[in-house]
Amino acid sequence: MKKAVLSFLCSLKLTIGLLIIIAAASILGTVIPQQYDGGESLRHLSPGLVKAFRSLQLFDMYHSVWFIILMGLLSLNLIVCSLNRFPTSWRLFSKIPSLDRTKPFENLSPDRVLVTEKEQNEVVRRAEKLFLKRYKRIRTEATANATLFYGEKGAYSRFGVYVIHASILIVIAGAIIGSLLGFEAFVNLPEGESTNTVHFGRQRGIKQLDFTVRCDKFSIAYYDNGMPKEYRSDLSFLKNGDVIYQGSLLVNHPITVDGIRFYQASYGSIPGAHAYITIKKGNEEGTTIKVRAKDSFYLEGNDATATVERIEENLMPMGMFRGPAVLIAIQSSGANISFWVFKDIERIKRRIPDLFQKIPRFNPGLFEPYYFKLNKIENKYYTGLQLSHDPGVSIVAIGSFLIIIGFLITFFSSHKRFWIRVDEHEGKTRISVAASSNRDPVGLKREIEHLIGHLKGMI
Amino acid sequence: MIINTTILGWVTFVYFASAIFYIFRMVTGREFWGPPASLSALVGLIAQTFALILRWAESYKMGIGHAPLSNLYESLIFFAWTIVLLYLIMEWRIKSRNLGAFVIPFAFLSMAYASFSPHVNSRIQPLIPALQSNWLISHVITCFFGYAAFTIACGLGLMYLIKGLGEAGDSRHFWRFLPGREILDELSYHSVVIGFIFLTLGIITGSVWAYSAWGSYWSWDPKETWSLITWLIYAAMLHSRFVRGWRGKRMAIMSIIGFGSVLFTYFGVNYLPGLHSYF
Repeated sequence: MKKAVLSFLCSLKLTIGLLIIIAAASILGTVIPQQYDGGESLRHLSPGLVKAFRSLQLFDMYHSVWFIILMGLLSLNLIVCSLNRFPTSWRLFSKIPSLDRTKPFENLSPDRVLVTEKEQNEVVRRAEKLFLKRYKRIRTEATANATLFYGEKGAYSRFGVYVIHASILIVIAGAIIGSLLGFEAFVNLPEGESTNTVHFGRQRGIKQLDFTVRCDKFSIAYYDNGMPKEYRSDLSFLKNGDVIYQGSLLVNHPITVDGIRFYQASYGSIPGAHAYITIKKGNEEGTTIKVRAKDSFYLEGNDATATVERIEENLMPMGMFRGPAVLIAIQSSGANISFWVFKDIERIKRRIPDLFQKIPRFNPGLFEPYYFKLNKIENKYYTGLQLSHDPGVSIVAIGSFLIIIGFLITFFSSHKRFWIRVDEHEGKTRISVAASSNRDPVGLKREIEHLIGHLKGMI
Repeated sequence: MIINTTILGWVTFVYFASAIFYIFRMVTGREFWGPPASLSALVGLIAQTFALILRWAESYKMGIGHAPLSNLYESLIFFAWTIVLLYLIMEWRIKSRNLGAFVIPFAFLSMAYASFSPHVNSRIQPLIPALQSNWLISHVITCFFGYAAFTIACGLGLMYLIKGLGEAGDSRHFWRFLPGREILDELSYHSVVIGFIFLTLGIITGSVWAYSAWGSYWSWDPKETWSLITWLIYAAMLHSRFVRGWRGKRMAIMSIIGFGSVLFTYFGVNYLPGLHSYF
């Protein structure tokens, strides 16, 4: 019974089966929206299905009990397999094969046999020198009419596979440590405000930090074509009223304070932006006013009211009509009209000279004889910060590094063994070369050809 | 049109010619078509390398300097470049042109998709904040060398299966230029190993990048998850070979399935929500 369980746990069937099941489950996780990303798309599913999915934890699949069990089984499989096979590998590594006089040399192809007129002792001396230079763990044996050499290289390659498996376990251990002892949290912080309370991501609830973080300023920079170039939060970290760290947080450049890493994750505008609008009548100087959305004001000398319908920091993120704009609505005895006033109207007009004919609603002088000009929008942002603390990271990094070492050992080295026999045959000295390897037959063939080339050179 | 995209457009045709020569060579069974096939692949590769350097320099002239590895167009071009580079190294190492007919067409298809699809924007664009990282270059290079090696393994797998159809004393010249099944199996295994190592490096560099950009080295984003799925498929393949000694047809089929997963990791993921949407 115990044996049956053990042989099941270290069977290749289990390994392949688990790899395929984990792959298939992962596919499921990429198709079903994970709630962690925001459960928006749940509305497309029927309530029954949602209930079934929820009971199977499919909305947070990668942290579900059954997925963790699968990963646990894979780890167990790795451990049991490795422990089970290790003694054999150790034997193959440490044991030097006996200098069998005939077996390695059976069925040797003719091109692995050299014949020379040179004296046997001389050939033996030179062959030994060559072996000592090229191989490790040399053994020699002289019998009445023959001398045998054994040498090998790359015996360590037997352990490459254990290095890989151990490093995968190290990575998994690092991930477990991270998920048990680490945390991930978020906070939205308006400009000028500070907090020491953050919200957990996956686990619900809040966390109190030992320090306070303050957002001094948030800013966005754009490229000429309107694509975002930089999101920057100027942050201050305070402890007992003293600033312990001050710096700019950028995407790809996290800030670490007290072992907690801060990331620039998102941003947004706080309602209540101000717009500075200049209103001109004909060739007059014009007056500038500061307004908020939904503010109304009278237009002087004309029986009309203007209302600021919308204030947009960036009406269309990219393209020609990007940039700040306000929507003005006019109520007058004549008619009710509304139009957009772009801050960069000159730039847009250069690109489309007949803009006002095409789209009258984009004409800031649509309500004659008035002309509206948008000077600037004063906007207040909040910055979206992500916090993380993960003590498992260095362990995962070590594991990842070791995986690559393990690959190099496993895939680019092999345990090659060589036998040479020097004896007398029909009055001449005969040299026979035999070899074996646990992998890479092509590499072994190349090595044998090399060795024979050297032997030819010395006789 | 900017000069580098013009050159890359021409390279597409050069690779097309090369693919046609390789296929002619195989179908007619005449070595006559071999040298022009190799030569056009090499000329294409050199011209493409030149165009990539030019594109890099051009981006600096525009004041938004970055390596040409930052959007779908540039990744497709680079994908073709890695395929041809790896293939030519292989052709030179094994001294045989027999694999070209099944590999170079992939490079042509990637170039053609980049150059002629209306959905692929060939302009040099500045880098959005998430892409402004030193890890961009190493991550993209390792991933695409992995993809290219898997592409070659898939081509070899296809050859293996086709070879299987025409066995049993079929002496028509078409089969003559298909290498022996053992050689195909061995080469396919080596390609998968190279691909597997590069994919692992790609996942590791990606994790390091994610750790500095998104706050976590692994967040089960669809692209991450699919790269893991691909990794698991090839891991299963290598285990069945190492432990069970599986060879031949089963390996050929697995290398084709694995390539399907590579393609989904590359393109299919764009239809799923996630953080890699700019690729």
